[in-house]
Amino acid sequence: MKYETVIGLEVHIELATESKIFCSCSAKFGGEQNDHVCPACCGMPGMLPIVNKRVVDLGMTAGMMLNCHINRTTTFDKKSYYYPDLPCSYQTTQWFAPVCVNGAVEIETSKGKKTVRIKQIHMEEDAGKLVHDDWTDTSLVDFNRTSVPLIEIVSQPDLSSAEEVVAYLDRLKTLLRFAKVSECRMEQGSMRCDVNLSIRPEGSDKLGVRTEMKNMNSISAITRAIDYEVARHIDALENGTEELVQETRRWDDIKGKSYAMRNKETAGDYRYFPDPNIMPVVIDDAWYQRICDALPELPELKKQRYITQLGLSEYDAEQLTQSRAFCDCFEEAYAICGAAKEAANWLISDCYNILNKRQQTADQLSISGKALGELIKLVAEDKVSRGNAKKILSAMFEQDLDPLQYATEHGLVVSNDTGAMEETVQRIVAADPKSVADFKSGKEKALMALFGKCMKELKGNCNPQVLREMLLKCIENA
Amino acid sequence: MKLYITEQGAASANTVALDDMILTKNAPTSAGSKMLDGYQGLFDADIIGRLEAAGYTIGGKVNVGEFSIDLLGETSYYGACTNDQGNLTAAVAEVAKSDGVKAVISLDVNGMPRRAAAMAGTVFVKPTYGTVSRYGTIPVACSGETVGVMAKSTADCRQVLGHLVGHDDKDGTSLSDAECAQVKTAAAPIRKVAVLQSMVDAADDATKQRINSVCDTLKAKGVEITAVDDAIYKAASPAWNALMCAELCNNVSRYDGIKFGYRTPNYTNIDELYVNSRTEAFGLLLKTAILYGSDVLSTENYMRVYDKALRIRRVICDAFAALFAQYDAVLLPACSKTAYKSDAVGTYTVMDEALFTAPASISGLPVVVAGGVQLMGKAFSEDSLLTAAAMYE
Amino acid sequence: MNTDTLQKLEKLNQLCLTEAEKSTVTAFFDQQADLFSCLEQINTENIARMVHVMPILTVVREDREIKLFTRDALQESAPETHDGYWQVPRLIE
Repeated sequence: MKYETVIGLEVHIELATESKIFCSCSAKFGGEQNDHVCPACCGMPGMLPIVNKRVVDLGMTAGMMLNCHINRTTTFDKKSYYYPDLPCSYQTTQWFAPVCVNGAVEIETSKGKKTVRIKQIHMEEDAGKLVHDDWTDTSLVDFNRTSVPLIEIVSQPDLSSAEEVVAYLDRLKTLLRFAKVSECRMEQGSMRCDVNLSIRPEGSDKLGVRTEMKNMNSISAITRAIDYEVARHIDALENGTEELVQETRRWDDIKGKSYAMRNKETAGDYRYFPDPNIMPVVIDDAWYQRICDALPELPELKKQRYITQLGLSEYDAEQLTQSRAFCDCFEEAYAICGAAKEAANWLISDCYNILNKRQQTADQLSISGKALGELIKLVAEDKVSRGNAKKILSAMFEQDLDPLQYATEHGLVVSNDTGAMEETVQRIVAADPKSVADFKSGKEKALMALFGKCMKELKGNCNPQVLREMLLKCIENA
Repeated sequence: MKLYITEQGAASANTVALDDMILTKNAPTSAGSKMLDGYQGLFDADIIGRLEAAGYTIGGKVNVGEFSIDLLGETSYYGACTNDQGNLTAAVAEVAKSDGVKAVISLDVNGMPRRAAAMAGTVFVKPTYGTVSRYGTIPVACSGETVGVMAKSTADCRQVLGHLVGHDDKDGTSLSDAECAQVKTAAAPIRKVAVLQSMVDAADDATKQRINSVCDTLKAKGVEITAVDDAIYKAASPAWNALMCAELCNNVSRYDGIKFGYRTPNYTNIDELYVNSRTEAFGLLLKTAILYGSDVLSTENYMRVYDKALRIRRVICDAFAALFAQYDAVLLPACSKTAYKSDAVGTYTVMDEALFTAPASISGLPVVVAGGVQLMGKAFSEDSLLTAAAMYE
Repeated sequence: MNTDTLQKLEKLNQLCLTEAEKSTVTAFFDQQADLFSCLEQINTENIARMVHVMPILTVVREDREIKLFTRDALQESAPETHDGYWQVPRLIE
């Protein structure tokens, strides 16, 4: 019999905020264990939750990026279960009136385009982290991640293969990074995914038994886990190897197997109820409009505009629109220097290389577009040589600087002092009669050697065209 | 008989004591529970700064029943209090009566300080919900619990309450300063009082006598008294029990033996750590409230009980609004008896007595207990209520 | 209230009652059920739920980090810690 796979995803995304969702502790990734913690984060009584406005901003932004309806009155609820990483033994989340509902996102796979419906997006707090200590045979609790803001994006069961799941996650990542909602870094846990999966005979409209795999945090693991689960389900149906039950499973990526989870959220009743300490968040027209106005142009629209209006190549436009930080820097630089192709080149090759060396992603680009634009202008106006401009660019990654001022201070400005150039050229030519002779006998390379020596002597601060002419003239007379 | 859990500083005319539901960073806060015996909070409740700014000194922490949901503090880990007649009395009222204490600040979770005032002959004011910050109070039933003031007289209550009210950014249910200021503003005097007859009928003769005598005093001062019979207010108690227990169940789930507080010595794994810590540290009333609260929130009962209770809350608030369109205040007993022999109190006696206190708890409306009876008013009518209560205190 | 339900509730709330306590608690549940059943006469079909008694509008704060407490202070009242962590018996997933 032929089967089809039905998959729905619950994707947890950590929001890019400075502080936690209900208290003012740092929401940054990492830090010493239990350093980003206050009485509320370790379950102590007496502090009251106050909602971080930026969390609502980002929740709405995510919803708008995914074509959701925004609930203009959104409320928080409490979900109860015991686990040592949950200090209050309840999680504050949204159950009755989540911030966004009914969205849709388009994905593209080898089989073409497809729309995946979004059921809802809700805001909630993350749990802490457990470290298992073999030496003492205990578990150790770190509450740094407790109450770090999350959104959970719940899809409808519209996905039918690992390929579609990967395309969907990729699309979410692109859109949410573009809107600066989250860095969506799976390796740091800022994007995690629960996979709900069932299979049914092709054409059937009845759903099969559903299993849920929790906290998947790499694309390759997700792909393998889906393939494994589909095979396990088919095996169970065809060969009766086991009876399928609705359950939560954990994927062991090293063994390549999934296991039924024994505890935590598998059993029991969460007993959701509205949080009496948090008033409903009412999103008025001004607030709604502010978020709308700040939405970024979608990456594919940007790409088209770069090609048709700014004359970039398809390749350059594609490269730039991989990252919002690159787009912002490019647009700002272009506004200053007016040279789109140049600005794109600097970003795609030079900046990209520097980021690589620094082991940073494109989204971590820290230089200002204004400075880059001015740098490009300095090169175009022959005020700074291309070689020196690269040095200045490197410095721009270390500190915020004004390129012209930096060039002046570090002697990197092209000199108009033809006297100094003339003197240098004469000295170099006089000191190297062999190269001069070589050049005269037709060896073009000899000229390059002389040119390089002069350039070095002059620290690159001269107009290369002028230097070349001067050099030729001098050799001729030698 | 333990009145104080910790006593600080010399008593003076400006000494104010706090019940042990209010966190202080200089002294432990136990909430009357073995679970929090010796627990040292890390910050002061918001009201402490307000009291100190007004020139009061904090005189110590006063014994309460476990998480203050009981009748008169009888479930305290540190023991119940009885008076010379062998009757149960609450430490918050006994301390308020003593010399050298201006007032006791007490969290009204389930009516305990109101019953305490009625038994001991002190005055207690529970202000409008949201006018006094709950930042730094042990959370139990957050949708209704309110910080109030117990003192010897309405005058002392008014004075101290005036310093407590005000907006607090750290409490998301705190009202604006403009709204809070109304608590301190003299409004029209109370001329028409409704007596909740069904509630009076549910009380014993001594209590009825108190109501009658208060009515006589008020009438003599020209106040018009009308008996109203509206059974709807009787719905407040079962609805409030459900809401309170549900919120309590959730709020006390944080006490698990892991982060702070009591941890059982009897465990070999995490499940035993949880179960034994909680089972050994909590008393039966609290355990019952936890289980009942969990039950009303369960998938099977949520709509039938919890959701229903939230709707009943609105029905009751609407009924009060209609009543206060006709009357300035409502008179009702604080308890079915004027005294409780300590051996006559059962584990769940408080749940029956909530009949009288639940209307103000579930609605968040202000109430003044003086002369052993409750006088409730519309939101922000504290000043008028205190003025009226001064006629019979 | 039957014993299965009570047992489920105990487990859900990490509590373990004695037999005597169980019968006391069961009696309480039955009493509350009776009281609550009286409320069914009150028609609440078109009544909105009331979670908050006072009409307060949205309360939000700006996204700013403030550090007020040290780890040492927070762990002073901890039953058991290890190397800056809270410590518990090992969990099996």
